[in-house]
Amino acid sequence: MTGPTVSFRGVEKTYRRPQLLGAVYHTAVKELSFEIPAGEVTGLLGLNGAGKTTIMKLITGLLFPTAGSVEIFGLPPTSRAAKGSVGFLPELPYFSPQESPGAVLAYYGRLSGLGGPDLAAGVEGALRRTGLEPHAGKRISEFSKGMLQRLGLAQALLHKPRLLVLDEPVSGLDPLAIHDIRGLLAALNADGCTIFLSSHSISEVEKLCSRVLIMVRGSLARTVTRAEWEAAPGGLEAIFVETVK
Amino acid sequence: MKNTLYAAAAVASNSFRESVRNRFFTLFAVFAFTSIYASVLAGVMAVDQEGRVLADMGLALIELTALAYALFSASSSLLKEAETKTIYLVFSRPVPRWSYLAGKLAGVLLTSAFMLAVMGLMHLLLLSFRGFGVPPFYAWALGGSFLKLAVITSFAFFVSLFSTSPVSTLVISGILWTLGHFVPETRFLADQAGGLKGTALNAAVWLIPNLQLFNARDVSGSACVLGAPAFVSAAAWVGGSYLAALWLLRRKEF
Repeated sequence: MTGPTVSFRGVEKTYRRPQLLGAVYHTAVKELSFEIPAGEVTGLLGLNGAGKTTIMKLITGLLFPTAGSVEIFGLPPTSRAAKGSVGFLPELPYFSPQESPGAVLAYYGRLSGLGGPDLAAGVEGALRRTGLEPHAGKRISEFSKGMLQRLGLAQALLHKPRLLVLDEPVSGLDPLAIHDIRGLLAALNADGCTIFLSSHSISEVEKLCSRVLIMVRGSLARTVTRAEWEAAPGGLEAIFVETVK
Repeated sequence: MKNTLYAAAAVASNSFRESVRNRFFTLFAVFAFTSIYASVLAGVMAVDQEGRVLADMGLALIELTALAYALFSASSSLLKEAETKTIYLVFSRPVPRWSYLAGKLAGVLLTSAFMLAVMGLMHLLLLSFRGFGVPPFYAWALGGSFLKLAVITSFAFFVSLFSTSPVSTLVISGILWTLGHFVPETRFLADQAGGLKGTALNAAVWLIPNLQLFNARDVSGSACVLGAPAFVSAAAWVGGSYLAALWLLRRKEF
């Protein structure tokens, strides 16, 4: 039996902002415990400031927990083995506008430890899967917002991660791009990739996820399964509104 | 180990590529225009010392132009990557922080070396156009400038990890660069002053890199090769600043 892909146990994260005299402390998440089983698509919902991005950064080792423990595949998120198994798409990723998508992906592929034929195959595969192949010759300055988001997803897929962490993956995209990305994520999940995504779009989360965590002011207020929201009048939106109010 | 060195090389080459695409040609154009204008003025003012003035002025301009680039780049590099969230895409991957920092530093130093080489070539062409040969110990003078840039760039990386803005990093590093050229004078003053003042000045001398060690064309008023103390001092300052910067970076959250 394999363990959970992601495990949070009693996690707290407090930010410290230094001031002229002393410091100001802000607790972004508190007493947070949950697990994400392998192969599941889990959504994270919450209002602005609920702690969604903090959770994503704790999973990817960009932040360190103030208390409690976070494990990815049973390892600390800062370990090389854990990081090598995670693909991360931050909200509104930035890429150097003078570069081509291939050059950007080759750079991130090298940072993921790919080289030689593996790197070339990884870049080609990521461009193909995200539908960017016809635009491979363009500069990134010519890319639309949707294409930039696809490139962000492509860099997360390069090294064939077992866990994808996506912060607002369909933010600001047109309906066709959303449809394509939804199809891509469904295909990745069918290949065994565990997906953890945050979004403000309840309808997208409803279509993609099998389970949803609802955050309210830094705490996990409710966990909802697909069966629960499908049986509820008003669906997931009604459950979300009732939980956060 | 092999993978982390590979990652450092990837960060260095990416940093070099971005620099070449962004600011290089503007800086080269400024340097070429200034040096040609200065050479015309020097020709009028220096009379029989035109060769010497052109060589020294050119080398000083080369160093200042490369310094401006290196300081600007070192002070804004990490901050820009954090602001644009590019650093998320790096540190969410299996890239150790020491490897990333080494790559960033190597990228800026590689760019500085390239700038020194290209500007040196432009300078030599200008000297040849005015009828002068290669000044004595010219390569050593450029090598000394590179060592100075290495010291000040690694220090700027360290400062950028705790300063509040790129401007404050530029100012602090600029002050160190200026003070570094007055270490022999500070040492002389310390010897003269004695007592508490002398002790304070002697302590200050240990906290400031002696950049005069790297001025190959200034020693005893004539050109010479760089001595071993110059290389030892540069290695100590670069290594010390890198380790101090790494200590801060390993604790930093993004």
